[in-house]
Amino acid sequence: MEKAFEGIKVVEFTWIVLGPSMSRYLTDHGATVVKVESHNRYDPSRGQTPFAQGKSGMNRSMHYGKYNADKYSVSLDMKHPNGLKLIWKLIAWADILTESFTPGTMTKFGLDYESVQKVNPDIIYLSTCLQGQTGPYAQYRGFGPQVISLAGFGEITGWPGQMPLLPFGPYSDFLCPNVNATAIIAALDYRRRTGKGQHIDQSQFETSLHYISPLILDYIVNGRLASRNGNRLPYAAPHGVYPCKGDDRWIAIGVFTDTEWESFCKSIGEPEWRKKPGFSTLPGRKENEDELDRLVAEWTINFTAEEIESNLQAAGVPVNVVEKISDLFQDPQLKHRNYFTYLNHPEMGNCAYEPQARWILSETPREVSMPSPCLGEHNEYVFKELLGLTDDEIAEHIIDGSITTEVKE
Amino acid sequence: MSDQQEPQSSLSPYRILDLTEAGCMITGKMLGDLGADVIKIEPPEGSHSRIAPFYKDIPDPEKSLFWFAYNTNKRGITLDLQTVNGQDILKRLVKTADVVIESFEPGYMEQIGLGYSSLRKIKPDLIMTSITPFGQSGPKAHYRQSELTMWASGGYLYLSGAPEYAPVWISFPQACLFGGVEATTGTMTALWHRQNTGIGQHVDVSIQECIIIFTWQTIPMWDLNNVDYPRLRTPGMMVPTTGVVGARGIYRCVDGHVVIMIQGGDEPFPSSMKSLVKLMDKDGMADDWLKQIDWRRDYDALKLNQDLVNRVEGAIKNFLATKTKKYLYNEANKSGILLAPIATIKDIWENPQLEARNFWVPVAHPELDDTLTYCGPFIKLSESPVEYRRRAPLIGEHNTEIYGKDLGLTKEELVCLKQDKVI
Repeated sequence: MEKAFEGIKVVEFTWIVLGPSMSRYLTDHGATVVKVESHNRYDPSRGQTPFAQGKSGMNRSMHYGKYNADKYSVSLDMKHPNGLKLIWKLIAWADILTESFTPGTMTKFGLDYESVQKVNPDIIYLSTCLQGQTGPYAQYRGFGPQVISLAGFGEITGWPGQMPLLPFGPYSDFLCPNVNATAIIAALDYRRRTGKGQHIDQSQFETSLHYISPLILDYIVNGRLASRNGNRLPYAAPHGVYPCKGDDRWIAIGVFTDTEWESFCKSIGEPEWRKKPGFSTLPGRKENEDELDRLVAEWTINFTAEEIESNLQAAGVPVNVVEKISDLFQDPQLKHRNYFTYLNHPEMGNCAYEPQARWILSETPREVSMPSPCLGEHNEYVFKELLGLTDDEIAEHIIDGSITTEVKE
Repeated sequence: MSDQQEPQSSLSPYRILDLTEAGCMITGKMLGDLGADVIKIEPPEGSHSRIAPFYKDIPDPEKSLFWFAYNTNKRGITLDLQTVNGQDILKRLVKTADVVIESFEPGYMEQIGLGYSSLRKIKPDLIMTSITPFGQSGPKAHYRQSELTMWASGGYLYLSGAPEYAPVWISFPQACLFGGVEATTGTMTALWHRQNTGIGQHVDVSIQECIIIFTWQTIPMWDLNNVDYPRLRTPGMMVPTTGVVGARGIYRCVDGHVVIMIQGGDEPFPSSMKSLVKLMDKDGMADDWLKQIDWRRDYDALKLNQDLVNRVEGAIKNFLATKTKKYLYNEANKSGILLAPIATIKDIWENPQLEARNFWVPVAHPELDDTLTYCGPFIKLSESPVEYRRRAPLIGEHNTEIYGKDLGLTKEELVCLKQDKVI
């Protein structure tokens, strides 16, 4: 059966994590995406670990690989007038253009929305950046950790009375690709009905705030300043992460209702301490939470996380092993969902790729079919097969350097 | 086709029946924000997601700030899906709808005769989006889960915090929210597919898989290099092949904390470090050895040594301790230093960029005799902008409008249904 985005064409000027992830929602369902790089300005994630066999090289990084499966790579010198000519051909060809440069960068190349619209009037042009296309901080330079901190996640992560601990990695980068893909598809639908394309302006900062918007309302209305509270929740106890047998092994447990509390106590063998008057109700458990957590940890440390998960799940108590990355490769649920797709890459060999879509459609399930591209791997395919240039024309571009073929020292 | 929408919104032709709870309610909010006609369906006594924080701390289901935040642009009706009458009414509504979104345990909708296979008999091109911890089927599909345990199941909880403490999550639950946003993308994909083919689909979202997204490149680190990434302080990095641990990156300043990327190698890191050292030098806090570092060559990840990292970090830490968040953030913006304040909610509220972007949107709450300020559009579209047409619905606020107008129920019928607690 036809896939959702078969025939949809994307030209992409994006780097690293957020930008490249957006179009992978479309490629999981059949879109054609051409990624523009050059041998002197390529996606910096090509230089980031992990590298196949620990050996660095611009085509050996699975940091790049993970975010760029199913894409065609062309290597064009955007500063060369003939390189720009090919970019304009790509723009005329595309339905969608995505870019994640600092605001103003595309304008410098004459590739701003207004100019692009003259050549392709109904193009959907999505710009994503840290703080939006306009405003005094539009040029603010930064990566994920800065956005997470600006957007309030740092302040609310960690232990009360201690310095904040940021969530791992560029957390807010990951909050944006699905939002952007949603907006692109909505714009496609709007265009289908009206014939009009549009410019989409996404601020990573603004989007991320929706993940804490009730806290913001709480401050505006009630003056309350949210802060970090370990792994606790106001309406559950015991609720937290407890140590288990083994090397850095932990179990996450959440007991919300009195029924769950009874099941929990039964599963852990009805210890004497469960009878303490302070523990019989939720408010009581909250008041004595330090002691409760200590007692639970004294129990959990005697077992493996898997044993506890099995035991408490059977009793209907929310619980899960705190999975390490290696655990995910053994996870039977992920196997059931065909989560990992092993594809053979020309330089890296056999690699585990992941889908971008975290959902499966009943008739047209997601599919990862092409490994990530080597730099400029698809120059011939894109310019000849997709854009109709002749062999001679392509050769000229290679000779004059507008199609790049090697790094210039 | 609903007449609730202005012609210029992105999703005006579509009707969404929203049965979600908790953070998953964000799916309907985003579709509503994009212009769809979203009908939020709650049990007659009100959704159990009408939770704290409350307006002026009054614990009233009609004053839940959580409910307000995630139900903008929705109309609201009540319906008891446990009753045969209620199930019947839902089926009649499905005939008028394009999408049903739900976040019940796998199997529950089937149990009450409202599963995808039943609903598609009524409306063959229906799109049904289901959001669950592990997906609709599989060995873990029936696991009991909560926000924290789902966070654990995706490998991300393990990675967050510091090695000397237990793994720690973000103190405001995120898993269902992220599952909800992911469900929006899935729903839109199925809708677009239907436009071309006329075929509806079931969208099966797994929150576990959503959480895995946050693990960044640690999955290929295991696959390629057999490195089982440990928990380190972010933004500090560990180079897997050399074992060198980068600078911590979070430091005290006069009035709080800041985060800073202390890295070298490729741009923009060398420029950022040069600008920072220049700023430090203005205050006489940059010794010669620091000024002489070639950030491109000497601080490249694969060539780094632990001693250099420690010395650099010490110098920077001392400087940051003497400055305020506002000063440092302003300087960072001026000269491209990869630094940000670790903002409190107050800092966010006072942020100059959000103000300049007109991010804050007032929304009228006549039932409170008040106007509240909300986070503005989650994205800006030039032709079909996101607008807040209405605040979150009161319990059963649109029963008369929707049951009366769309299903043709009379006032008497509505009274009976109410007495029988079906609505």
